[in-house]
Amino acid sequence: MATETRLRLTISEVTRTFGDTHALRGISLAAFGGEVLGVAGPNGAGKTTLMRIIAGEDSADSGTIALDDAPLSEADASRLVSVVHQEVQLFPNLTVADNLVVQRDGSATSRRPRPGRTELAMLKELGIDRYARSELGTCSLVVQQLTEIARVLLHEDAAKIFLFDEPNSALTDAESRELFARVVKLKEEGKIVVLVTHRLRELVEHADRVVVIRDGLCAATLEKGTLSEPAVARELVVGAAAESDVRLQGPARQAKWEWSVERWTHPSRVFADVGLGVRAGEIVGIVGVEGSGARELLRSLAGVEHASGRVHFRDGTTKQARIGFLPAERTHSLFPNFSVARNLTSRLGRGDIASGLGRLRVRRLNGIAEQLRERFHVRCRSVAQLVTGLSGGNQQKVAIAAALAARPTLLVLEEPTRGVDVGAKSEIYRLLGGFAQTGGAVVALCTEVPEVFELCNRVVVVDEGRIRADLDVGAFPDVTALAERLATLTESAV
Amino acid sequence: MASPEVSAQARPDAGAPEVGPIRATRVGGSTALVARVVGLTFSVGIAMLVFTIINSNFARTGNLIEVVRAMSSLGLMALGLTLLIVVGELDLSVGATYGLAAMLMGKVWLAGVPFPLALAIGLGTGAAVGFVNAALTLGVGMPSFIATLATLNVAQGLTLWISNAQSIAPAFATPAPPKWQLGWFSAIGATILPFTIPIQVAWLVVLAVVVGYVLHRSLFGFRLFAIGGNLEAARAAKLPVTRYKFVTFVLCGTLAALAGILDFSFLSSTDPNAGSSLLFPVFAAVVIGGASLSGGRGLIIGTVLGALLLETLTNGLSIIGVGSYGQLIFVGAAIAGAVALDRWTAARSGGVRRLVGWRLKRDSV
Repeated sequence: MATETRLRLTISEVTRTFGDTHALRGISLAAFGGEVLGVAGPNGAGKTTLMRIIAGEDSADSGTIALDDAPLSEADASRLVSVVHQEVQLFPNLTVADNLVVQRDGSATSRRPRPGRTELAMLKELGIDRYARSELGTCSLVVQQLTEIARVLLHEDAAKIFLFDEPNSALTDAESRELFARVVKLKEEGKIVVLVTHRLRELVEHADRVVVIRDGLCAATLEKGTLSEPAVARELVVGAAAESDVRLQGPARQAKWEWSVERWTHPSRVFADVGLGVRAGEIVGIVGVEGSGARELLRSLAGVEHASGRVHFRDGTTKQARIGFLPAERTHSLFPNFSVARNLTSRLGRGDIASGLGRLRVRRLNGIAEQLRERFHVRCRSVAQLVTGLSGGNQQKVAIAAALAARPTLLVLEEPTRGVDVGAKSEIYRLLGGFAQTGGAVVALCTEVPEVFELCNRVVVVDEGRIRADLDVGAFPDVTALAERLATLTESAV
Repeated sequence: MASPEVSAQARPDAGAPEVGPIRATRVGGSTALVARVVGLTFSVGIAMLVFTIINSNFARTGNLIEVVRAMSSLGLMALGLTLLIVVGELDLSVGATYGLAAMLMGKVWLAGVPFPLALAIGLGTGAAVGFVNAALTLGVGMPSFIATLATLNVAQGLTLWISNAQSIAPAFATPAPPKWQLGWFSAIGATILPFTIPIQVAWLVVLAVVVGYVLHRSLFGFRLFAIGGNLEAARAAKLPVTRYKFVTFVLCGTLAALAGILDFSFLSSTDPNAGSSLLFPVFAAVVIGGASLSGGRGLIIGTVLGALLLETLTNGLSIIGVGSYGQLIFVGAAIAGAVALDRWTAARSGGVRRLVGWRLKRDSV
């Protein structure tokens, strides 16, 4: 229907910097009405930043965003752009239905807005009408995500641009299909639809065109003819891993497990009957899309999420204290009120930084901190500096150093390099490799194929709460081959 | 295997490396807190100067000593509360605990229990209230605000019940307790030490040093700051979160009980409502002293100075003839002023901006 007067969203030369991190480095791309534009890219490539800027939630340092030649101001954006956020941005203390009307216009003296027939019809269509009166915060993640989608779809008449940022990470396949049917409908109405997702199959199935964002730039565009899962997977990893890097040799397959779990089951069966082991000197990657159970599995290995089953240490003990855990978010792993030195030594205790009676040995604490800083190449003015003043990569090095300083037998890492720039990434891989070479065992949740390739000896693919495959990373000649293999594995499940 | 060599090399006997001039990174210390101490010292000095100019009686040695004596019970309670606030919890029941401990000790003593045992029962009462607070907060999982609001009421009710809403004065009770016991009783809180220093001042100084040492120089204190600074990270690091919070609740209750008992001894009588007016000044002292109610920040010297500032204001204002209504207004202004000043210095030193930047990075890249 909208053929002559197709909408056009033009993004030109947009840059955005956070501190010393360049999230976007002059990205340019265009999206048209009546098509679904897929956006893919590794973590930290700038996808979310770009979406936030289009939606007017953040502003670019330079560059322009225009809708049909007219610049899109932040005020316009809030009216014309509708976003389904990756992390639901709603009011957990209101009911599902009230969440749909909370942003309705009105003055302070207007009557309290009530959810009407349209809202209830929308909830019904998405299959969550029976939750209309439930408080959102008490609902499952699925209902929350569907509520966010309902909010966006209700905004349909006014909005011309729809951004879906990983909209279905918590949804089942049936629910996802429902969602994508709606997406197609929006597209047929001539709206601009942008879909950001890690699931390559969805990009290939639903997008008319896919742009791959790498390092804050538009690295490639794949048109319908060239669009395929392996093609996207290849583009995602271009230039990511240095082939010249000497890859560490993992321990032999026959070696005994340093640590293992059997019949490992989550209380709500996010994963069930998993058997998994790690050898001394080995780095095992766990991969799986959001909702596959991979993240929960990893967290349960560290003992921060419940699961039942049998646990074996090689020496027969079951001491949790010998497992070090590092959460993905640095807001969950660092102490913002502490200096670098205090963060580095935060997991140490008597004998290291305190006397037998518990007296803190400040000089020794600082000495240890200085050594850790040197060994882990933490760049800071002084270890007495607050940790919040460091760059993301250096903060992450501090977090890893702190975990390793406590001498764990097994180190469990959730996304070891989230929000870390390329240089710091390879340094972190080296540090973890060093730990493994001295006999440590590592399990890491990886969300990027190059990370698996560079860091891990072995990779375990989790899908629908089961281990789908267990591959030797060393058997793959290059990262592209690994990416293609993993792409076929994770998508063949349905 | 990660770093056995690190700790080995770090042993001083193995020749701790001289890594240049390490500025001792005081736990939780930062330039903002140093500024707070300097600012508080100035504030106390200026307040004293102004009161002296208006009425020179303020500066008499006797009065200055009285200021410190009168702040001691406030100070003792604030010491315990500082620990608790650093670890990220609250205790609204400190004032009620102060009253209950004194009353219960007095009652069991007058009922014939020997004084040393009664004293232990009094202190144990504080520990017990702290224990209940901890159990409700950590065991049941209530916010400490609610849990301690509940124990505040229970403790106050118990005090009124066991005392029948009457104050008690052991020296004039019939039958009066044995002489030696009365002697012990007044010795703990009413003794005058050399240089006419009241023993309550000594209690405060000694305990401030001990608690200051625990908070700023021990592994326990180090971890309190960690737990209060980032509970999630403390859990990920497998620090003993629950155990440490438990101990802190009990310490806080015990210190409140001690403050109540010492005041009972000094006044040689206690009132069922004693302590209920102390709750807000105690919080004020801690907050003025630089602790953050969201946890992870606090300073014992700041808390002590905060208590001193409050007592200086109360004492000085009454000497220059400002009535108790006016005193409340001044104390309120002092709280708001201190915290506003802190925000201002924090914003200027970039602390806030850095924290915001940290969040931004996480959220958007």
